[in-house]
Amino acid sequence: MQSSQKLELRVGLAVLVLLIFFVSLTVVAVKKFGIDLPGCVTNIAAFTEGKVIERAPSHFEIHYVARMWSFEPANIELPTGADVDIYLNSIDVNHGFQILGTNVNLMAVPGAVNYAHIKFSKAGKYFIVCHEYCGTGHQNMITTITVSDHPAPVSIEDRASTPPILDDDAKAGAILVASKSCTACHSLGSSGPSVGPSFRGLWGKTEDLSDGSKVLVDGPYIRESILQPQAKVVKGFQALMPQLQVSEEEIEQITAFLKSIK
Amino acid sequence: MELSLLKEEAAIQIESSLKRVVLIELVFPVVLLIFGIYHGLMQFVYRSGLIHESSFAHIDYYQGLTAHGVINAIVFTTFFAIAFGNIIVRYCLKLPLNMKMTWASAILMIGGTLSTAIAIFSGQASVLYTFYPPLKAHPVFYFGLVALIVGSWIGFFNWIPNYLRWRKLNPSVKTPLAVVGIFTSFIVWMIATLPVAYEVIVLLLPWSLGLVPTVNVVLARTLFWFFGHPLVYFWILPAYVMYYTMLPKVAGGKLYTDFGARLAFMWFIVFSSPLGLHHQFTEPGINSSFKFFHSILTFLIAFPSFMTAFVVAASLEYAARKNGGSGLFAWWKKLPYFDSERWLFGYLFCGLLIFIFGGITGIVNASYSMNRVVHNTAWLPAHFHMTVAGPVFLSFIGMTLFLILQLTGKELKFKKLTVSVPWIWMVGIFISSGSTFVTGLQGMPRRTNLGLGLLDPSSPMYHPEWLTPSVIALFGGILMTLAMVIYFFVVFSTLLAKSRVKWSDPIFLKLPMSEVLHDESVTWVENFTPWIVAAVVAVVIAYGPPLYQILNDKNPGSRGFLPDSPAAVETK
Repeated sequence: MQSSQKLELRVGLAVLVLLIFFVSLTVVAVKKFGIDLPGCVTNIAAFTEGKVIERAPSHFEIHYVARMWSFEPANIELPTGADVDIYLNSIDVNHGFQILGTNVNLMAVPGAVNYAHIKFSKAGKYFIVCHEYCGTGHQNMITTITVSDHPAPVSIEDRASTPPILDDDAKAGAILVASKSCTACHSLGSSGPSVGPSFRGLWGKTEDLSDGSKVLVDGPYIRESILQPQAKVVKGFQALMPQLQVSEEEIEQITAFLKSIK
Repeated sequence: MELSLLKEEAAIQIESSLKRVVLIELVFPVVLLIFGIYHGLMQFVYRSGLIHESSFAHIDYYQGLTAHGVINAIVFTTFFAIAFGNIIVRYCLKLPLNMKMTWASAILMIGGTLSTAIAIFSGQASVLYTFYPPLKAHPVFYFGLVALIVGSWIGFFNWIPNYLRWRKLNPSVKTPLAVVGIFTSFIVWMIATLPVAYEVIVLLLPWSLGLVPTVNVVLARTLFWFFGHPLVYFWILPAYVMYYTMLPKVAGGKLYTDFGARLAFMWFIVFSSPLGLHHQFTEPGINSSFKFFHSILTFLIAFPSFMTAFVVAASLEYAARKNGGSGLFAWWKKLPYFDSERWLFGYLFCGLLIFIFGGITGIVNASYSMNRVVHNTAWLPAHFHMTVAGPVFLSFIGMTLFLILQLTGKELKFKKLTVSVPWIWMVGIFISSGSTFVTGLQGMPRRTNLGLGLLDPSSPMYHPEWLTPSVIALFGGILMTLAMVIYFFVVFSTLLAKSRVKWSDPIFLKLPMSEVLHDESVTWVENFTPWIVAAVVAVVIAYGPPLYQILNDKNPGSRGFLPDSPAAVETK
């Protein structure tokens, strides 16, 4: 080999070593730390209404609609530790979506829905900025997520310019379950209060009752348990539950919530 | 310019027609650059938080930003590449060009540029230089871009017969390295401009004229970035030609190895194009495994970058030792940094220094897992201003001045001022990009009129911690502008000075062309064909599957939107 070709060979080797190093680190980042990129979210129908849906306590799904020049839902509040699935759709031009101080950085491209997951472990005010030019009002396209231990209950009045659509029964049910203090006795996860049966995984289950019979947890059973709590008591629990003052609509909402955390 | 370094060069006669067209191709974009640089400075002003306006001097922020990007990154670079190519091909192959084609190319490019400029300055094309649909510009904007691109194609096609004839006349001689570099640049340009021509002609123009109601935005963006990343290699390759063939000579030495340079160029042909998805990491509609593949392909460009770094450093060391330098590192002192007889050195050298940081920060952008930290933040413009506004811009303005002097036969005036330009520019860019890297990592968005939002004290979204770094960035921008004011002064005072050579006379041209220290013949880097075939294969492998997926996904299509209204444009 001629003298100078050694240089080319050495350069090639140096590049090869660095490449292997970088690619290995990337694979570790993807496999071990789960840092992956949004791909093809095609199984989600494009939505045109912004929504916050509480799928389970502390587990939220937010449908963000990006439009010239606002995000919907605007300025929402979440509890500390909230686990959030973010879906993002643009209904007009390209927009950006970066939650400052986090690794959530997405493009909203019309014609495809984008997705990211984030857990808000720290309380604080998170700014979401549009970072893709979207017209003359681009610089105003900013919204916030405020994370605190005591978020304001989600209601339409709190939403500033563009109210989210909160007609989801399960979401309303989640608020009822909290406001009627159900969770003082019933847990929503695998741990928590156990005065009554846990709500998680309850829907669709067959329960053994204290009189020895069995019952399927379905709509009529939940309705009966809310209106006449002592009629059917699950084996191993005491008949302590008070009767609730709720409307038929609210019963449906609570039922929808229980379905959502089955 | 009578430089001692040009003493031994053979003079080649440049026909007066070619001289005139090249001078027009050089001076026209420099005139436009006055607007481009002004809007660059205004970017820093709006984004410093010192003014809180949507427009200044009747030009809207986003309109000015569009002008800045189109003029500096597309018009100036393309014009220079064609002018430089015309000169290199004529000078190195010593065969006269077909002048009808040369003029046709120049006229199309100028006409296209003027159309696009009219659309932008009349406020009907504030869509930025990436012109992503469904933001819609006036059809004249797209027509102008098409004319500019087609003009550049004609310019390139015009060189091919000369190359083939030269090969026939010189069967046993290697193609001159500078010609290899220019052809590499335009082969990359051809591969890159085909998808964007499809995007503009087939998708955007009919839609902008109202002939079709909707456009597939995911497809349009993918075609744009199929063009957008090789575009940056089209920008840097003429600079590489100068680094390999001229810088060693200007420094007083020789090119260290010819094989390394040729290998780097061939590598660019293959690996410039199959990697554009790394601009689309954070967007939906494209499978993430394709993105991973493109991320790795992007890193392959490290090879020609390293090659250039080592070969150029070795060539500079050789020159410095010849100039009397010694020691392990002390030879660095013996380079003509501020030598006004070799003023071109600073324009090339400062660009290389800036490029080190441009390259390193680029690793973050192209990285599959790190990209999301910086995507569309201020980090991005800080990065690419250390590439396109570093080595590309400095070498282009340096060579523009050099060629203007050579082709007009004039003496350089204000030599000391000329020497100062790249150094002031470099300090300016280190300050402005340096502080923007910091705010970018903190999430400050790019392409945003911050004075009306995040840096407006009366806004609920006010981020006062970004005020100081933004003012520092403005200071850097002022230095860059100062460098350009000096440059414009030198160029225009030279142009206005009296010349011994008449406009209608031919001129004898001398270019600083380096000899080679280690000159080997390695045949497999001396033929374009296999590398072009490999490039086509690489493009099909890298872009076939994602394009197939995008075309098969149900995309409802987007109607057009004007930048100032959230209501879709009505079509008949």
